[in-house]
Amino acid sequence: MNFTLNVWRQKNGQSSGQFVTYQAKDISPDASFLEMLDVVNNEMEAKGEEPIAFDHDCREGICGTCGIAINGRPHGPRNAVTTCQLYMRNFRDGDTLTLEPWRAQAFPVVRDLVVDRSAFDKIIQAGGFISINTGNAPDANGLPVPKDDAERAMDAAACIGCGACVAACKNASAMLFVSAKVSHLALLPQGQPESRKRVKSMVQTMDEAGFGNCTNTGACEAECPKSISLDNIARLNREFLLSKLFG
Amino acid sequence: MATTSSPKPSVGGSGMNSILKKTLVALTGLALIGFLVTHLAGNLFLFGGSTAFDGYAARLEAMGPLLIVAEIGLAAIFVAHVVMAIKLTVENKAARGPQGYAVNDNQSEAPSRFMIVSGVLVALFVILHVKGFKFGPREEFGGSLYALVMNEFANPGVAIFYIFSMLILGTHLTHGFWSLFQTLGLIKPEKRRKVKQICTVLGWGIALGFLVLPLFGLLSGKKRTPLPDGVKELIQKTEAVR
Repeated sequence: MNFTLNVWRQKNGQSSGQFVTYQAKDISPDASFLEMLDVVNNEMEAKGEEPIAFDHDCREGICGTCGIAINGRPHGPRNAVTTCQLYMRNFRDGDTLTLEPWRAQAFPVVRDLVVDRSAFDKIIQAGGFISINTGNAPDANGLPVPKDDAERAMDAAACIGCGACVAACKNASAMLFVSAKVSHLALLPQGQPESRKRVKSMVQTMDEAGFGNCTNTGACEAECPKSISLDNIARLNREFLLSKLFG
Repeated sequence: MATTSSPKPSVGGSGMNSILKKTLVALTGLALIGFLVTHLAGNLFLFGGSTAFDGYAARLEAMGPLLIVAEIGLAAIFVAHVVMAIKLTVENKAARGPQGYAVNDNQSEAPSRFMIVSGVLVALFVILHVKGFKFGPREEFGGSLYALVMNEFANPGVAIFYIFSMLILGTHLTHGFWSLFQTLGLIKPEKRRKVKQICTVLGWGIALGFLVLPLFGLLSGKKRTPLPDGVKELIQKTEAVR
């Protein structure tokens, strides 16, 4: 398969970038999107050109490191997959693909398609953990958790923090990410002792990082590679308002 | 390990964080929907003719100072809704950063993306509507609000403007109505789709309920605009000369 790539090239955070057109030739339909970029980069390196910088790590859809806006959609046209799990057979031979980094004030471009997502780390540092002593591994069923809550907590915990929600949102809001991180703890008994403090601190850090305000458009849910539900945002709002009202 | 960061002042200059700002928009939006329902209920007297509609208007105006207090409260809610929504929109535009997307294939529903556009159009409509009816030239119609309204609606330009504005209101409520419950955290897990459906139907019910009024005026309206005094005098003079 052959593709025309319009790739955002930017030397560093200070310089201004521009699109550069490349040809990806003889690409296997079974190549992942990142493998296709590897082929293009190998050719560029052979010619002595600077390869396209992009983030990647596990390449099996579980680490949240990769992420490219492909033809205006974070992680490309398929739902519920990361960029590394997107295969070239999902495109048509001869397609022109526009590759852009996540665009958000809070995610400054480091180089080409790589952005700095440490704003997410700061939000987690503000309270996305449990610091109480939860003791040794408890007896099975020693701590009763309703099945529905366990499922919802697990669904929220599937968030890999890739930032596609921010990239997709017209407001560059991080509410889906924060709501997933608040929810998976708020739904379980171990998260209760610090729940009020946690939600206030994480929302405050989110605002300070320069993310936009959620307007419930649902673009985040549509692009999330882990299908994190907008239900979590309702829970985050509820947790936050209750923490403001009652401590 | 420390659990929380040290308390810092909120961002944005307003001293309010993002969720509280959104809560204000949601609560004022809910209040405005409440107003729309009562306003629509009252306006249905239009179908009852001049006696019913003018009687309703007279009963409202008989409330005196209470009505003025209610009107000031409503105006304050309206202004708060608009001002906070504009502030949020400005912040949201800035959050995208210096460089936007060259290609953007946003997967959200269109009404949710154009709330500021539909909102501004509705706000412009409200200004013209209040100017034309509440502060309209009622004395030209012998003090009958019914005659003023029906006369205005008989004008196709006015009627089409009203109908268009109500369609815009419908799209605004398509997103705004359910979205306010999401912002207030009142939607239970897995119930969002149902809440959205009910709110969409109710929202369009309100918008289409209003839409019927100008349509009714346009279709039944044969009333001619009363001639301005100057023109009346001119006609009398011409006839006297003849």
